[in-house]
Parts: sequence; C-alpha cells; structure tokens
Amino acid sequence: MDRTDETLRELFAVQAPPTLAGRLRAALRAPAPGLEALADRFHFDASERGITRLAYGRGRDSAAGRGRRHVEQAREELIEYLGGRRTFFTVPVDLGGVAEFQDRVLAEARRIPFGGVESYAALARRIGHPRAARAVGNALGANPVPVLVPCHRVIRGDGTWGHYAFGAALKTRLLELERTTPLLVGCESTRIVCRRGCAHEQRIGEHGRVVFASVADAASVGYRPCKVCRPRDHAA
Amino acid sequence: MDERAFERLAGEYAGRLYSVAYRMLGNRADAEDAVQRALLKCFVARAAYSPRWAVSTWLYRALTNVCIDELRRRRVRDESDLDVETVSEQLPRARVARQPTIERLDVTRALATVPREARVLLALHYVDGLGYGELAKIRGISVNTVKSQLRRGKAILKKALEAGGHDGSD
Repeated sequence: MDRTDETLRELFAVQAPPTLAGRLRAALRAPAPGLEALADRFHFDASERGITRLAYGRGRDSAAGRGRRHVEQAREELIEYLGGRRTFFTVPVDLGGVAEFQDRVLAEARRIPFGGVESYAALARRIGHPRAARAVGNALGANPVPVLVPCHRVIRGDGTWGHYAFGAALKTRLLELERTTPLLVGCESTRIVCRRGCAHEQRIGEHGRVVFASVADAASVGYRPCKVCRPRDHAA
Repeated sequence: MDERAFERLAGEYAGRLYSVAYRMLGNRADAEDAVQRALLKCFVARAAYSPRWAVSTWLYRALTNVCIDELRRRRVRDESDLDVETVSEQLPRARVARQPTIERLDVTRALATVPREARVLLALHYVDGLGYGELAKIRGISVNTVKSQLRRGKAILKKALEAGGHDGSD
C-alpha cells in the first residue's frame, strides 16, 4: 500500500449525518406518487402523417385511418415516458399547420436532449434571431404537441420556469422526472449501451442494468453503442 | 423481502451508501438525494431481488446507477448558460444540512481529473473496501477491466497530486 492508497482511504472516510437513516425510513414509507397516473388526462389528434395536437385535461382522441395507429403509439410511448421507462419519442408528429418561424423554433426545441434545459435566449440565438427571445417564447407557448416536442425544457435565463401550456406544476414534475430517469443504460450480458426506451433496452432484466454518463464512458469499459437507437448520435 | 426487512437493510447500509455517493457527487445534498433515490428504486423492485446477488452488490449497483446519471446531467448543465442554482432550487430534493467547508481541497480537485468510470470504482474500493470481484459485478464489467481502471485512476490521481505539490509518492 502506498501513500496514494492512504490518502484515498482518509479522503473517503465520510461520516453520514446521524439523522439520515430516519429520513430515509420516512421517505420509504411515503414515496412520491408517479406521473404515470396522469396518462389518461392526455388526448391526441392525429392525421395520416402523425400527431397534430396533444391536449391535457378533459377531451377525447380524434383520428381516422392511419392516424389511429399514431395515437395508439403516442399513448403507449407517453405512458412509458411518464413512468420513467422512455427518454425519447419515435411517434411521428405532423407540424404541417404551423408557420415557418414556429416550425424552426420547434425543430430546435426537439434537439434539446432529455434531461437538459435551455434558455429562450439561447434557443433564439440558435435559430439565428438572437433578439427574438420573446417571439421564441410565444412560438413555444403555441406548441401544438407539448411533451412530444419538449418545450418544457426551455426556461428563462435566470433559471425560473416561465409559461407552460399545461401549467407550471406539471412543468416542474416533467423536469423532475427527466432529472431522475437515466438516459444511457447498458446491458451487462451483451455489453451494449442503449438509450432508455429502445426496444433492446426494454428487454434488459432488472439486475442486468448498468447506467453510463456517456457513450465514451461506456466504451472505456468495453460496452458498444446500440445500432438501433444509436445513442452516440442522440445523447448529450 | 418484506417492508420491515428492507427498512432495516436501508438503515444498516445508509451510512456506507452515503459515503460512496458523497465522494462521487462532492456535496451532501446531492449525496443524500442519490441515496434516497437508489433506496426507493430498490424498495419498489424488492420483489425482483435475487438471493444469488449479495445485498451490498444490489444496493451499490442501484446507487452507482443513480450517481452516474447525476454526473451526466451535470455535464449537460455545465454546458448551458442558465442560472443553475435557481433551476436546482425549483426542483424538489431531500432536505439536508448546509455543506461544511471542504477539507483536503487539493485531493478532491485531483480526484476530479480522474475519468468518471475510474473515479466511481475508486470510491467504491476505498470507502467500503470492496474487492475486484464485487466491483466487477456492481459495474457489469470484467475483473480485468476493474483492475486496469483502478490502476489508471490511481496513476492519474498521483500525477495530479504531485503536480499540485501534494506528496502522493510511495
């Protein structure tokens, strides 16, 4: 054993606060309710090309023909997302009815990674209109498909929330959900790392899940990225 | 495993889990939050617990999964131009005491230069004296990878300590 070993052993001798065990027991007895129960309160409109509108509250789904399949897929993915089992959506969205500026804002909002947040001003800069933060806010406020296009990941530059179509409380819960849902999950037996929600990731057993902070970290210990969900292209 | 048995287990391991989380995340608030989240995940999934796993392996796997995702999130957050303190304040988390002055700042800083995977293994190895086999099971990697990561992590740490004027030699 050398000095580095001793230094590390000393450094890692942390004392837990004496009240920790009691607080943990209290948390185990009263776990916070999940978001999955809210899934029934979301309603979809869909065209042949994809989801055109997502509403929250009273209402019903509206779709015909192939649109019904999109609604089914969207609902399934939304339930998984709210349950912390999905970090991305594959259901197509049809933004055919929105103006060009809003379309660019929504496209840029879709690039904000799961679990990340971005300011209105930064989004305005990214679309090439650095002084249009307020217009960006209006465009996001009129987002026809919240959650699927993650406008909840856009907040004010001072770190406070700002307007959200489904209310500030739901925005907080969605951001908290994304804060506590892992993005990259590796399978211990196949040594493949996927994005959470990939069909392959969903087959990994409870004991075989290993979370990574980046694809590079996973590669450093012998895991390769999934060829289906391509985490290298999408993870932050 | 029933609820009472799990509660006893949580009480027994809380301190050690906290120490590992603290060394991975660097502050008390995040460490306590991570321990709470990891234990809640295990509590919900306790029916799936298999006795072929040591309890410590099961709990440490859950804890490292939570801590590593927190480190990923920080990396994303550090790249943004937002007031991150305000963002954090608005999200719920475990209530904890104020963080005291950080001791041995140079070692903590040196540890931050070690790659994440090696840092996690160092924390597990030195906090609880976990062996190579258990570390391999916790992180889902081979024993040889554990050994090479620990060796590499220690070498980087030693170099950083020497560069900072701290005597980390034999």
